Amino acid sequence: MMELLGTLLIHPVVLGRWQQMLLLLPLCLTISIVYKTTKCEKLRDIPLSAVVSWVTIVIGMYAVGVSLLLLNKWIA
Amino acid sequence: MERDSVKIDFNIRLPIAAFLGWLLPGAGHLFIGERTRGLIFMVTIALTFWCGVAIGGVKNTVNPVQRSWWFLGQICAGSHTVVVLYWSRHMENPPDAEKARLIAYGRSEEVSVVYTGICGLLNILIILDLLVRVEKHPEVLSQRGPPSKTKKAST
Repeated sequence: MMELLGTLLIHPVVLGRWQQMLLLLPLCLTISIVYKTTKCEKLRDIPLSAVVSWVTIVIGMYAVGVSLLLLNKWIA
Repeated sequence: MERDSVKIDFNIRLPIAAFLGWLLPGAGHLFIGERTRGLIFMVTIALTFWCGVAIGGVKNTVNPVQRSWWFLGQICAGSHTVVVLYWSRHMENPPDAEKARLIAYGRSEEVSVVYTGICGLLNILIILDLLVRVEKHPEVLSQRGPPSKTKKAST
């Protein structure tokens, strides 16, 4: 078990472009959960507001990404 | 029946809570009695940080020499960063032929550094939230037990 864990942490993972983009999802989820946990006074409000915040951030980030990509292609 | 009360002076409690919050994200909240909130922070930050380390590998994810600005963010994650730094320093330098197996380049490097750096920055937010909670409820925090009579009277 420890050997497997060590191997997992020692050897880096080779990522493709799509995998890199997909890794935005868990990062945004972490940010949403932490932010909403600090904001919500009632703990039962956290899951729903974190999901809403997560979806908003993800849509916003992908929108910014696509806009910049289009702008880059347009300038080029 | 009166529960056991832990009375610690506010001026001591504040830095202790902040230090614990830095040392292990979420531990400060556990210290002031916000157990569920503390556990959420602890699990979320630990999972994200170590996922980042797993993507980029221990050897080069935390590198204060090459990425000093990112390191300032990463060190805010406390013991997680210290463990990775210690581990990477005590790993033998790989020969050139094996470098690619232990050191991440390109996308993996970027993702791992961003994951761990953001964990550190999120911990600053957590520590600030902790300090606000300590200042907001000094009475509740100074005594782990039933609310005092003065508080009951005021509510």
